[in-house]
Amino acid sequence: MRLIARLAWRNLRARPGQAVLLLLALSVSTTTLSLALAINETGNGAWDRLHRATNGHHIRTSLAYQESLLPPQVQSHPPTPADVARAHDRLAALAAEPEVVAASGPWPILFTDGEIGGVHLELFVMVREAAPAAVGQPLVTSGRWLSDSGDGVVLEDGVAAILRDRPGDTITIAGRRLPVVGSATTVSFGRYPLHQPARVWVNAPTASALRAAGAVDFAAELELRLAHQESAAAFVAAHGSGPRLVTWQQTRVGVHETLTTFAIAFLIIATLLAWLTIATAAVLVAGRMAAQSHQVGTLKAVGVTPGQVTGVLLVEYLMLAGTAAVVGVVAGTLLSPLLAPAAVLYGPPQAPPITWTRAVVAFAVAAAVVVLATIRPALRGVRLSTVRALAATIRPPRRPSRLARLAGLAGLPLPAVLGVRTAMRRPGRTLGGAVGLALGIAMVVVGLGLYRGTRAYLATPILGEAESVDRRASESLIDLLLNIVFGSAAVLVALAVVNAFVLAVFAARDNARHHAILRTLGATPRQTVTAFVVAQLSACLLACLLGIPFGVLLYNTFVAGDDLGPIRLPALVYAVIATASLTLYAVAVTAPARLLATRPITPLLTYE
Amino acid sequence: MDAEMNAVIEARGLSRHYPGDGTPVRAVDSVDLVVERGEAVSVMGPSGCGKSTLLHLLGGLERPTAGELRLGGQRVDRLSETAWARLRRRNVGFVFQAFHLVDELTAVENVELPALLVGASRRTARRRAVALLERLGVADRAGHLPDRLSGGQRQRVALARALINEPLLVLADEPTGNLDSHATGEILKLFAELREAHQTLLLVTHDPRVAAVADRLLGMRDGSIVEDTRLDGGLSRQAVLAQIAGWEA
Repeated sequence: MRLIARLAWRNLRARPGQAVLLLLALSVSTTTLSLALAINETGNGAWDRLHRATNGHHIRTSLAYQESLLPPQVQSHPPTPADVARAHDRLAALAAEPEVVAASGPWPILFTDGEIGGVHLELFVMVREAAPAAVGQPLVTSGRWLSDSGDGVVLEDGVAAILRDRPGDTITIAGRRLPVVGSATTVSFGRYPLHQPARVWVNAPTASALRAAGAVDFAAELELRLAHQESAAAFVAAHGSGPRLVTWQQTRVGVHETLTTFAIAFLIIATLLAWLTIATAAVLVAGRMAAQSHQVGTLKAVGVTPGQVTGVLLVEYLMLAGTAAVVGVVAGTLLSPLLAPAAVLYGPPQAPPITWTRAVVAFAVAAAVVVLATIRPALRGVRLSTVRALAATIRPPRRPSRLARLAGLAGLPLPAVLGVRTAMRRPGRTLGGAVGLALGIAMVVVGLGLYRGTRAYLATPILGEAESVDRRASESLIDLLLNIVFGSAAVLVALAVVNAFVLAVFAARDNARHHAILRTLGATPRQTVTAFVVAQLSACLLACLLGIPFGVLLYNTFVAGDDLGPIRLPALVYAVIATASLTLYAVAVTAPARLLATRPITPLLTYE
Repeated sequence: MDAEMNAVIEARGLSRHYPGDGTPVRAVDSVDLVVERGEAVSVMGPSGCGKSTLLHLLGGLERPTAGELRLGGQRVDRLSETAWARLRRRNVGFVFQAFHLVDELTAVENVELPALLVGASRRTARRRAVALLERLGVADRAGHLPDRLSGGQRQRVALARALINEPLLVLADEPTGNLDSHATGEILKLFAELREAHQTLLLVTHDPRVAAVADRLLGMRDGSIVEDTRLDGGLSRQAVLAQIAGWEA
């Protein structure tokens, strides 16, 4: 084992550039994956603090008085006193269960509409007492809590913040004008405007007045604390036949559901990056296939078993995967609070603690990526006879390609024909380069589609004030999401260009002899460079042909929805993406080709 | 004067030195050489004596560090890489020991490549390539990639490629070095035919059978030409071997 580890370590040290490149690509991938897994938890710290400060619930339930009716429908079919009494009895029975150590409620919830900060909106009016509730007493953030008598409204903190209402202002609920006495926050439900309808708290006398003014009893809520918070799920399981119960963990996930959008975005990006990393690893591995086969042959010649040979290769790449997993988990965790939308949280986002689950997932993905990319050469080296492995060189193509022959008939200049033929006759290499770049191009298409789609959405006429509030809330989230998508596109494209450059360096090295041969036949350095660049550009052209439709597919599958329709980009944009990709790619691959074209011919003729 | 006018190669003090440990390595050292049109010349000598370097200098694959070189009367030792490439495509055909065919191109595509480089139409280039492959007996392998050809077939394809532009000079570096005896015999027959057709040839070889094809035998040692023997009417293999034994002594 020590020998295997030592050989693997030597291999890495012998090619530090390749190891660093692979480690970089792997780390970007594991960081994004770790971000996807961690971002949902960035709000947990603040939520947990508020949960403790408010003696928050372990179990919460709200029971509609008429379970078949939605909030607006209930206005035309108000519940009977019997409906209300029945619901309260069912909730009270739950509160009497032996596992329950404290209960708050049942509290009535009224549904109506109102005007706050000049915005007309639907409202849930939560009826509470002046005395602090045993469970889930909202935490006052400005002004004061309700009193037993007299009119006064406490606004949910999100409502107060976005509609800019403060204690002392007056609002209208169900046509009645009421003074705002304070604002408060709670862990029991999400913040307005991402969680709607808006919520306010009133005391029982005000609630009665509102009922008289047209507010309708809609539901009752109950919050419970158990002896052990860990037993919440068991409690829900044991009472599955009653009202729908929600554990504190489910509430926490629910109030942070906006973060899920970001988590999904990161997960998609991480998947693309993982594929790109497979392409990078495959490129690097293919670049030293001959050397690796030779090493395998040498090891077998001195008595190392095929199993040990595979072990050397696996350990070499698993070292990289392990390092990338550590880098990714730490970086992803530290980056998560920076990329979480603070507006939807109960306080500044915080890096969640590193968990074994996240570490294991990151390592498993990194390991899977390297194994997928390296399994073929490893097996090839092991399968080859020792003598053949020792003599391994770059394998020449065996079958002429019809497509390549057609390139000659298309009337292209000779260097271009040679380039196209080389690319066509090395389909694996061309495809490998193309896939990496296609992912970057796809992400650019998604980014531009999202940019155009969201700008169009934000430019549509606003029908009402409530919608304008929604729009304002969405705008900051959209901007953050756009930054993430464009940032990821930049990372994907940068990695793809680095891939292209590395691929070009290897291809230039592999083609050195051919270029020298062409020069012995009278091809000028310019002609050999052109042939080489055209061969590489074939991969880029293929990447455009794959990447643009894939980007459209990604957008229409994962991004398009009710507000954002299918992608709508003018044909010119696709043409610009393709042209820019080709130009960028050409610049990346020209340098190694030029370097080669200026070297003396004779040493290149024997170059392997 | 007539001989000079008819010269394909004229080298005066041609040298190629490489930096070494302290003293430079004189791979080719002040070589004077004139090869006339239609002449077939063999260059022999021990390994490392500078034969291949001389051939590379004559074909412009390497640059001399000193001396003067004319090809077909044109001064070429100071040409740029691009100018050399243009000159080479019309006037010089190479045949290498390792064949050096382009792996991605079929046999016929390899052969037609120099013709396309000089601007022949695709149809003309293909017609000439096919005709040459027929002449050299490998027309049936025209559509195959090099990996699917035997050593002898590859060398015939390489020879056809060297000849397609009817060059002023064919330079061959150990053309039978990678071939079995049967294939060697076939390639030697082709070189003999070329000599009969008055194609100017310069062959670098270790093999006396190849050397015996030539009209003239040059012996090299330590970068210099130390022997220059005319083989009028052709010399038997034994005679060439005796000649070489004389040099080695």
